[in-house]
Amino acid sequence: MGVKMVGASVRRMEDPRLLRGEAAFVDDIRLPGVLHMAVLRSPHAHARLLSVDVRAARELPGVVDAFSAADLGAEPPGIPFFYNPASFRPAPQYPLATDTVRYVGEGVAVVVAESRHLAEDALELIEVDYEPLEAVVDAYAAIQPGAPVLHENAPDNVAATMVYESGDVEAAFAGADRVISKRLDMQRYTGIPMETRGVVGHRDAVTAEMTIWASTQWPHTMRTVLAGMLAVPARSIRVITPDIGGGFGIKADFYPEDFLVPFAAGRVGRPVKWIEDRNEHFLTIAHSREQIHEVEIALRDDGTILGLRARHITDCGAYQRPLGLVNASLAATSLAGIYRVPALRVEAVCASTNKAPASAYRGAGAPEATFARERLLDIVARELGMDRAELRRKNLLTPEEMPYDTGLVSLEAAVILDSGSFPAAFEQALDMADYAGFAARQQAAREEGRLIGMGICVYHQLTGTGPFEGGSVRVDPTGEVTINSGAAPQGQGTATMLAQIAADELQVPHDTIKVVFGDTGRLAHGMGTYASRNAVMAGTAVVMASTKVREKALALAAHLVEADPSDMVLEDGYAHVKGVPTTRVSWAEIAAAATPGGNRPEGMEPDLESVQYFENMAAPYSYGIHIAEVEVDPDTGVTTVGRYVVVNDAGTIVNPRNAEGQIAGGVAQGLGGALMEELVYGPDGQPQSTSFLDYLIPGSLDVPDVEIGHLETKSPLNPLGVKGMGEGGAIGGHSAVANAVADAIEHLGCTVTRTPLKPATVWELMRSTGAAPAGAGTTA
Amino acid sequence: MDVDERTTADHVGLREKTITVTVNGDSYQRTVPVRRSLVDFLREDLGLTGSHVGCEQGVCGACTVLLDGEPIRACLMFAVQADGNELTTVEGLASGEELHPIQQAFWDHHGLQCGFCTPGFLLTTYDFLREKHGATEPEIREALSGNLCRCTGYQGIVRSVQAADETWER
Ligand code: FES
Ligand code: FES
Repeated sequence: MGVKMVGASVRRMEDPRLLRGEAAFVDDIRLPGVLHMAVLRSPHAHARLLSVDVRAARELPGVVDAFSAADLGAEPPGIPFFYNPASFRPAPQYPLATDTVRYVGEGVAVVVAESRHLAEDALELIEVDYEPLEAVVDAYAAIQPGAPVLHENAPDNVAATMVYESGDVEAAFAGADRVISKRLDMQRYTGIPMETRGVVGHRDAVTAEMTIWASTQWPHTMRTVLAGMLAVPARSIRVITPDIGGGFGIKADFYPEDFLVPFAAGRVGRPVKWIEDRNEHFLTIAHSREQIHEVEIALRDDGTILGLRARHITDCGAYQRPLGLVNASLAATSLAGIYRVPALRVEAVCASTNKAPASAYRGAGAPEATFARERLLDIVARELGMDRAELRRKNLLTPEEMPYDTGLVSLEAAVILDSGSFPAAFEQALDMADYAGFAARQQAAREEGRLIGMGICVYHQLTGTGPFEGGSVRVDPTGEVTINSGAAPQGQGTATMLAQIAADELQVPHDTIKVVFGDTGRLAHGMGTYASRNAVMAGTAVVMASTKVREKALALAAHLVEADPSDMVLEDGYAHVKGVPTTRVSWAEIAAAATPGGNRPEGMEPDLESVQYFENMAAPYSYGIHIAEVEVDPDTGVTTVGRYVVVNDAGTIVNPRNAEGQIAGGVAQGLGGALMEELVYGPDGQPQSTSFLDYLIPGSLDVPDVEIGHLETKSPLNPLGVKGMGEGGAIGGHSAVANAVADAIEHLGCTVTRTPLKPATVWELMRSTGAAPAGAGTTA
Repeated sequence: MDVDERTTADHVGLREKTITVTVNGDSYQRTVPVRRSLVDFLREDLGLTGSHVGCEQGVCGACTVLLDGEPIRACLMFAVQADGNELTTVEGLASGEELHPIQQAFWDHHGLQCGFCTPGFLLTTYDFLREKHGATEPEIREALSGNLCRCTGYQGIVRSVQAADETWER
């Protein structure tokens, strides 16, 4: 049946513009008469805001406007939440601080000027009176009695406590041969895309519509939130996503500047632009990952898991923005992984601290939970004197147990593992990595004084979340096909993927299809790109819309050649009568017939376009096995990652090269989290990681080549059988590398319980056991 | 915009200077505030927005351009320092419709995802391969180590550079 593009490893349609320097990222948008915004930010982690005086700033030549929270109206709008568990005590962020600042970097006032330089000059003229307050920066300390209080409605600094439970936990622990418990901590780190955030807003004088270009992952959500906050109808706002230079979740948020730019543009009647600089990015971007896990596992002596009991404390920072509590929830419902855990109870505590607000970053709770579980399993294996692969093998769910209902509900959706071949994937990965031969190699290395380790991580990931995504497919009277999608990708190659999907339905060359993303003026409803949902949600919407277009096109073609629609087939850009390829009509002829006034069958509506919404709350789960091999320098604590093996199962793969790129890129981020990345705060709440000099991300010398094996267990939840997979690399990468470092050094008598495993940390761990030569490493 | 900015610059006593530079073979003369960075000059005064700003601190390499043939960080130089010099930016790599072999290799071997870092990698690769034939993978990784990419994990970029080494006739 013609050409099949789903599954083809084709080059990306996105690339030529990007390669030529012709792309349009938000900072590349140049509007005549544009003004530039700069934000005055709090230098204090916690302080009462006594007064803000912007008058002198307003007087500076070149400054057009300056304002503070007092100018936002009597009741300034707060940024809304999308997830409100019953125990939630909301502390919304306002676009500018009103009476208290609660983290370094929180916006206090704004200047709008003829250039960014002038706007920043003017910031220095703003007079602010602060009364410093005591800050609390550690989540554990924050929830102890007597800690400084961030928000009056939560005197214990607990924004919410969610409890997730399935099975009989008390009985599981009472009947266990062994109970092992550990505290395992993941540090604060986050996406750090190479393109910072940015917003451009412009109110059109003729239509009075505000057009906003933003480096965002959810344009439709941004429109809706903004309409609410500005108290205008949604139809008067159009949000357009230009090219986006990476996001990884942190651009699926609503930030103060997303309001301030349009608000300022409305005040001054000229276009306003704000491009975040790298320093602002480190101070204010959604931080993530920081969780303390106290985990207990109940086992039989043979390694069978009977239950898990855990409490984790998520450091949510100073305010909760739209998805602020999501990491806590998903960490709880991801904790059991793809293992058979008959009883589970997790208490998820969301703590407020004087740090930047935290939210979802690639994996959103799964990397945190995976680290807690996979690190714990290694510790358990060592305590039981059992092989760590055997321990995992024993507890993995089997295909016969699919679909597997965990009995948990997260973010309004039941947590049901839809499909998978976990044991097969596991064995494949062990084979690829030569796990069986590793113990001997490790022993030989140790005899030479070298420390090598192998780390295993088994993870799964919630993907393709609901409630819906939209997509339209239209064919112009010239025969050209355009897809409009509610997705807003940031480098995933989604245009090529959606074109491949539509090409299968329409049988036109995929690279002739134009794909337009994230424009609220082109599609009424959309959700955006996050939660690995492009293939599942945007892809299915395009399947639905292109199927409708194909059916209508066949009916039109049949009408034109006077045949029966069921006798028509699409091939090579034409519709022809089956077996009679010469009796054919082109897409242009078909689409021309569809135009109003054209030659259509009786009763058929004009035009050749279909707008479809895929509505679905049942999310597919993908999974993978990562195995990392590392070498730790005994003198310096420096870790080098050598071989790296991934077996990935995300159902049908639409474009293998894109999928492999997602895995390789995700692994690099996970590795960064395991070994180097950390957003450090001093005890006074002063951020210490505010540039690429003190926040290291992996470079080309740090990241290994990733060897990838695929399994394709199709999801029953959508017509393509796809599962999302963009986040998996970051989930597996962190724990595989951390477990490998642990495997390299734990025979010395230390235990790895937190990341990042920076050289100094590893060296300290080894020295604590007397293994590292004293004095070595201090100059490294 | 230029005019507005000159006027306001005068108000606050910011000095300006007229400079002449050749970019991708074309000569430009512009009057710029002395504090304007070279990358801002390329992007805002000349409209060459292919050079990107990832950090303004000389670390990420997204702003890499060639100054008289040598790779530099355009965020660390003032525009006035480039007076009289020749620059090559990403916009100058392709010849018309035809991609440069390095660009073609990045396309063929999935050397980019979001593409924000890409112009910097292309120019770094250009400088590296110009001198070097038959580069090994460690040499390539070393050559790229001054540029940051957050999307690809570098795997596709390394493959692309290997391929360009074969296809670029130089
Ligand atoms: S912007 Fe110049 S090195 Fe980052
Ligand atoms: S491709 Fe996105 S930063 Fe390199």
